[in-house]
Amino acid sequence: MSHPPERCDGIRRREFLRLGALAPLGLTCADLFRLQAQAPVASTDSGKPPAPARACILLWLDGGPSHLDTFDPKPDAPVEVRSPFKSIPTTIPGIHLCEHLPRIARQMSHIALIRSLTHELGNHDTGSRFLLTGHRPSPALDHPSLGSVVAWHQRTSTHVLPPYIAIPGDAVGGQSNAARAGFLPGAFNAFSAGANPGNVPDLQLPEGITFERSDRRREMLARLDAFAELPETDLAVRNRDAFYDQAYRLIASPEARGAFSLDTEKPATREAYGRSRLGTGCLLARRLVEAGSRFVTVVDHGWDTHQQIARELPDSRFPGSGKLPSLDRAYSTLLADLHDRGLLDSTLVVLMGEFGRTPKLNALGGRDHWPRAGFVAVAGGGVRGGQVIGATNGFGEVPIDRPVSPEDLAWSLLTRMGINPATELTTPSGRPVRLLNQGTFIRELLG
Amino acid sequence: MWGLLRPTVGASASPDDFRVRILPILTHAGCNTGACHGAATGQGGFKLSLLGYAPELDHAAITRELGGRRIDTTHPEQSLLLRKATRQIDHEGERRFRTDSPEALELREWIARGTPFGRPDITVSKLIVQPTLLRPEPNAATQPLTVVAQLSDGTTTAVTDRALYTSNDDSVADVSKRGEVRILGPGTTAIMIRFAGAVAAIRVEHPFPDVVTPLPPTAADPTHPIDRHIDRQLRAMNLPASPRSTATEFLRRIHLDLTGGLPAPEIIQRFLEGPDTPAARAAVVDRLLTSPEFTDLWTMRLADLLLISGKRGSERASATYHAWLRGHVAADTGWNRIAYELLSAEGPVQDVGPASFALLANDPRDLAEHAASIFLGTRIGCARCHAHPADRWTRTDYHQFAAFFARIQRDNGRVTGTDRGEVEDPHSGRPLSPRALGERTPIPNEVNRRLALAQWTTDPTNPRFGHAFVNRVWKHLLGRGLVEPVDDLRPTNPPTHPELLDELVRDFNQSGFRLRALVRAIVTSETYQRTSRTLPANARDDRLLSHAFLKSPDGRVLLDMISQATGVHESFADQPDVTAAVQLVGSQTPSAALDILGRCSRETSCDATATAGAGLAQALHLINGATIQSRLQRGNLPRWLAEVPTSHALLDRLYLHTLSRPPSDAERAEWEPRLSGTNRADMAADLFWALLNAREFTFNH
Repeated sequence: MSHPPERCDGIRRREFLRLGALAPLGLTCADLFRLQAQAPVASTDSGKPPAPARACILLWLDGGPSHLDTFDPKPDAPVEVRSPFKSIPTTIPGIHLCEHLPRIARQMSHIALIRSLTHELGNHDTGSRFLLTGHRPSPALDHPSLGSVVAWHQRTSTHVLPPYIAIPGDAVGGQSNAARAGFLPGAFNAFSAGANPGNVPDLQLPEGITFERSDRRREMLARLDAFAELPETDLAVRNRDAFYDQAYRLIASPEARGAFSLDTEKPATREAYGRSRLGTGCLLARRLVEAGSRFVTVVDHGWDTHQQIARELPDSRFPGSGKLPSLDRAYSTLLADLHDRGLLDSTLVVLMGEFGRTPKLNALGGRDHWPRAGFVAVAGGGVRGGQVIGATNGFGEVPIDRPVSPEDLAWSLLTRMGINPATELTTPSGRPVRLLNQGTFIRELLG
Repeated sequence: MWGLLRPTVGASASPDDFRVRILPILTHAGCNTGACHGAATGQGGFKLSLLGYAPELDHAAITRELGGRRIDTTHPEQSLLLRKATRQIDHEGERRFRTDSPEALELREWIARGTPFGRPDITVSKLIVQPTLLRPEPNAATQPLTVVAQLSDGTTTAVTDRALYTSNDDSVADVSKRGEVRILGPGTTAIMIRFAGAVAAIRVEHPFPDVVTPLPPTAADPTHPIDRHIDRQLRAMNLPASPRSTATEFLRRIHLDLTGGLPAPEIIQRFLEGPDTPAARAAVVDRLLTSPEFTDLWTMRLADLLLISGKRGSERASATYHAWLRGHVAADTGWNRIAYELLSAEGPVQDVGPASFALLANDPRDLAEHAASIFLGTRIGCARCHAHPADRWTRTDYHQFAAFFARIQRDNGRVTGTDRGEVEDPHSGRPLSPRALGERTPIPNEVNRRLALAQWTTDPTNPRFGHAFVNRVWKHLLGRGLVEPVDDLRPTNPPTHPELLDELVRDFNQSGFRLRALVRAIVTSETYQRTSRTLPANARDDRLLSHAFLKSPDGRVLLDMISQATGVHESFADQPDVTAAVQLVGSQTPSAALDILGRCSRETSCDATATAGAGLAQALHLINGATIQSRLQRGNLPRWLAEVPTSHALLDRLYLHTLSRPPSDAERAEWEPRLSGTNRADMAADLFWALLNAREFTFNH
């Protein structure tokens, strides 16, 4: 793969983004944040890859999902290691999953299951950052999350829906900024859909305000701004105007607003996804991607199972429990639904958390943090399903075949979305930075 | 002792000196940038230090790694180093220089001589760049720079063709690899020059073009010292100044800048009744400087700077810290004394406010980075792993500075200085003695490190202490620091007005490092009081203050403005006595409104945070959200509708409470008819809504 010579030419500025192309977001060349990029270069190693995925849905299992109790069971390991749950076959011979994921087992033909994800950051904040940005956290720099990178890549689009949406919000890994825009402008943060789909904060007109009144208000506002004669060239003014325009387009577009509501979905669909937060979130994500958003993250909290796995993971009796049944319904239905609608090829679906969990069950019947082994399930977006990539040893402690780093994963996801991970940007402090410093495309994903 | 005491210009350094002759060739050719072999893991198995900060390691990598296969002393032209760089064999980095170039020749000869290292101690003590100021020449497309390196042996050597050049602003000027500067758009900037670990900068000034209409006649020489500096620069840059702000523009701006609140309508009306003279304006300034609201706002700003989040330590410790700070701001204590206490305080954090500063970080390196940013406006973080690419700090400088922060004990909510604790040299592992940034000698071992640091930091001769603070205050008031970013003071990032900044710092020191005197000096200048309305000839100026700059208010201030205008105060569940967001202790108070409108989380510095909030979510919230909507039905509006009979008076109230001015005749003609008809309540609510969303309300102009 060759790179143009200027790439190694010290901290020399590169071509600016064209002024016109930045107008929708009100950004200009004399931007506070200088963003420059070289033209993306096709970068997969295989001969002729499928068309890039249009969108990505990321299901984030916050807290670190235990691989041994979900996607990498070791039924033959000793009792202090193996899952309290049995394992079941899937529709693909040779691949087994936890018994509480039967619906997912039936969707195995869509899934490329990486069982050899490995890194060394066992803290929620640092682990989340590594997985969500493709960089180890650095004191020098706050790297943007994959969602923000996709939003940035789509910055010239005038689409009404925000390109990066988080359900319910972008808080992951405790109070981590892992899913945020980092050094990219705040415009590329996720739009938070809130905890109540169908009731996205501030998307609805206030009570007692009709559309006519809202329009009148908008007209009054335009008159006031015209009277004021504030300099229109000011960057902050242009940004504010751009966001107001986008907000009004969103408010005025029944389709876009409607995408945030589940009212038109059949009850059978809602049942299939499940009434859990995760199920509702996955259904909403499908709608948002259908309506044009490019990167939707659904965050499911509660996977930090330091205790009582046998009780908490399968059971729905206790608050925060029942993780496995809700995951089983939501994820399997999402894949089937996308497939039935002809959207699976163009939508990458990624299921993961910040790390796996300790192979040896602890004294509380739970597992602690274990970044050395973990899983990522990748489906859609041109990925070849029905396969397992990599493997861990008999106790699920460490990869023994085909280790995959979070950098490789990020590299592969961006490439599949048609974004060149080697693209170089300049941070506000003038430091040249590549989207990703390193990583290799996981060829097996394309079969 | 090498060389003569009298520098010999034009003489070459010894051709064997790897540090100052050979390695710079590679740096200039781009071999050791962060994208190539200078990356943390190198490229293709070949790792060099970033921009050549570690010459010994680089020499070893080139000559000894790979069994010495990178160089071939008997057939130098066969050396892998050369064949790759000249692209005679496959090289992902393409061709860096030609086979017949001076660079290749010099490297070949050096290899033929057996790749000597030359003198191990030779360094560059200074770079002398000519000219120091570049302005456009009518007949020259580019203008050359010449760079001479003064070496530590007293000799000098011309290095124009080997230095690294970077423009700080490509829209004003760019510069080639050979130091040819091409001046482009109007404005000012600096060109950064680097060679073998030394840095320098020169200024570029490109005056704005003449416009067709004649410029206003030059005003009489300004008397205010700030104005003298600013106006001189404007004349040199051919920029006319916008006129003075109107009375209401000034009142609104000064209230927001000094107190984070809007001027009460009575204040506005009283001021408009009298003459708008500098003395009248100064009287407003003096009243605001002594107000409790001034103390509240500037306590908040300093708490942002000191990262008083309320996350570390208990709630009581947080309250103590805040109260201590507020007490000092109220008393106008000198910043030097405040800083001294922060850097040296000991005791239980519940009782001793400034002791909490040491809780910002446990690792001495992290705490050192915070301290350098906060008190010196300097980023040293890059130097933790490699020499700072744009400033002069080496890894050793960094770690020896961090050593000041190694002897702090934190347990059971107590901060105490100890006599144990070290920072080790990252290479040798040996403990380092503390040495302050820019100082040559470390402090003796028996001296108390914290006290020594506190003294050095707050010493009036410390160049960056005053500059960092003055620059930040300047930014709060004018919208842009004289140095940007405000935590990135370095020789290669010069101020737009260096003499002005120096003078302000001298005055600041002499006043006892007092905040109010500094603020007063700034806001009584014509520069500060200029209108933000631009003239066609100065509309493109974004840093020379030919007109005032718009400022986006902080989310907390915006919330307070909305509360004040509508007469409905926000209540904060866990701080029930607080009625204004600027008074909040810490940054963790749950508040949906502040989450959307934006506030400094105080987890990291907010210096560089651009428009707070200011995203799609904020726009939706202001348009549809409860913050504004719920306030239209309570507080001021219902009362006005009941009490105020005429639409004339109602319109006055609406405008004075939001835009802080009476409506113009054109605006009356537009709005009064609508407020007179039926449906008056709805119309008034909608107009009130529009005023609270208006650009003229949202922005501090």
